[in-house]
Amino acid sequence: MNDASEKIGVCIERGKVNKSSPYPGDMAGQDGADELTVSALEWGVTPDKILSACNIGMQRIGEKFGRNEVFVPELLMSAKAMNAVMTHLKPFFQSGNVKAKGKFVIGTVAGDLHDIGKNLVAMVVEGNGWEVIDLGVDVKPSKFISAVKENSGCIVGLSALLTTTMVNMAKTVSEIKAVYPGTKIIVGGAPLTYDKAVKMGADGYSPDPQGTVEFLNKNLL
Amino acid sequence: MSLKYLPVDVEKEIYEVEISFKDLSITRKEIEHDIGYSGISAPEHFSGIIDAVLSRAADKCGIRAGYRIIDIQKKEDANHGLLLDGVFFSPDKIIYPQIKKAERAAMFAVTIGREMELWSGELFRRGEILMGYMADAAASSIVENITDLLHDHIRSRMLESEMKITNRYSPGYCNWNVSEQHLLFSLLPKNFCGISLTESSLMLPVKSVSGIIGIGKNVRYSKYNCNRCAVKDCTYRTRRRPGEKAVVLK
Ligand code: B1M
Repeated sequence: MNDASEKIGVCIERGKVNKSSPYPGDMAGQDGADELTVSALEWGVTPDKILSACNIGMQRIGEKFGRNEVFVPELLMSAKAMNAVMTHLKPFFQSGNVKAKGKFVIGTVAGDLHDIGKNLVAMVVEGNGWEVIDLGVDVKPSKFISAVKENSGCIVGLSALLTTTMVNMAKTVSEIKAVYPGTKIIVGGAPLTYDKAVKMGADGYSPDPQGTVEFLNKNLL
Repeated sequence: MSLKYLPVDVEKEIYEVEISFKDLSITRKEIEHDIGYSGISAPEHFSGIIDAVLSRAADKCGIRAGYRIIDIQKKEDANHGLLLDGVFFSPDKIIYPQIKKAERAAMFAVTIGREMELWSGELFRRGEILMGYMADAAASSIVENITDLLHDHIRSRMLESEMKITNRYSPGYCNWNVSEQHLLFSLLPKNFCGISLTESSLMLPVKSVSGIIGIGKNVRYSKYNCNRCAVKDCTYRTRRRPGEKAVVLK
């Protein structure tokens, strides 16, 4: 049983989606995350166990990404494999048998239209067991505030790619904090640094998706 | 390669250059390099996807590139400023010394239009995230490649009148505040090359590049002086063509 969930974890780390997927080359023709999840559930492996194996797989690939050992494409393949698992686990989430770690509201701030970096962060966070509410791009502070209201206890993530929109990011942080002072906010994106994040009053900064996951896990309620 | 250029406004010396996809030298290797695989090979599966993207890119790139040549009216060493047609730029202390020997400047803009961007977004929405990402990355590499061509074109044109050119510098790089995009575009016709600017200085279409090139008898093209800048993961620090050290134009 353990072996089954471990194998799923390996598929997540290596980005092996299903049997027909040619990637990674050395796993061609083998069962992938899709088939292995179906079998594991049939054998009675609990969804929780599958999920925690997946989280380990996602964490490993995220760490490799943070160390520049792999790049965005590998991360995307892992997210795809994770998606394949989630398709089979969805009913357990819906029935309440499995619970997400928490809620993460993410968006690219007002005036900025960049979404690939933000999407990547969202995929990796979701793959690590969080429910992600993606507000999209060009998101005004009021929309973030409404999302915090609707998703009580959530953590907020803000992304920006230009120094000009970082100004809107600072504004978003202060407006959210004015209404919900207890809400934790993490910021990221190319022009950000730890110092700039601190200066704008954010609770966290991460240069990459894995750091975001670490921040979220540390702030689990 | 000699590119055809057409005047947009003769008096103001504004030109658009005709560049077609087949003029480009973009390769799969270059895109792989730009997304991180420099010095190591990308997994075969990814290379195949880049090839598939490149095979469709020609139809999806609406290339436009142009520039305006302007006299530099005034240079202010004290605050690293340049006055061009009444507009005062503050390109800061990394760029200013490179341009200050120039008599004239080319203000340029380049785009590949929206189609690649829309295609990438569509692929993401359909769940084809890897191809969506590769389309986005290819679009970025393509627009940089076009900017290389435009840079080369300006160099050849200026050489005809025995003028030399500098590296190109863009607002948002080397401490030059990105908000000066508004100043740069104020010197170009409205919607130049189909590019518009948002309040937050974002060019639309997204896959666009703008900048300045110094022109003069005593300017030179120099190696990037990245050790003077604090941005650790800037394109020009990380982006080198395979096997390339630093391009030295005449
Ligand atoms: C919530 O918590 C979190 C945590 C982590 C978070 C997060 C949230 N959100 C993101 N992250 C993090 O995780 C993600 C995954 O690792 C990452 O997300 P990213 O979105 O950063 O990463 C993407 C997956 C891949 N990354 C990218 O696609 C951007 C890469 C770099 C090299 C880059 C590229 C490719 C391009 N560019 Co340009 N470009 C740069 C970038 C420098 C860099 N090294 O990042 C950046 C963004 N560009 C910059 C600039 C200035 C510009 N660019 C321009 C143009 C271009 C290209 C067209 C050539 C091309 C495509 C741009 C595009 N938007 O599609 C211009 C603007 C274009 C426009 N439309 O207005 C122009 C203005 C230059 C000009 N004057 O022409 C700089 C912005 C900084 C600033 N000063 O504002 C820049 C940081 C480069 C630099 N100076 O080093 C992390 O940031």
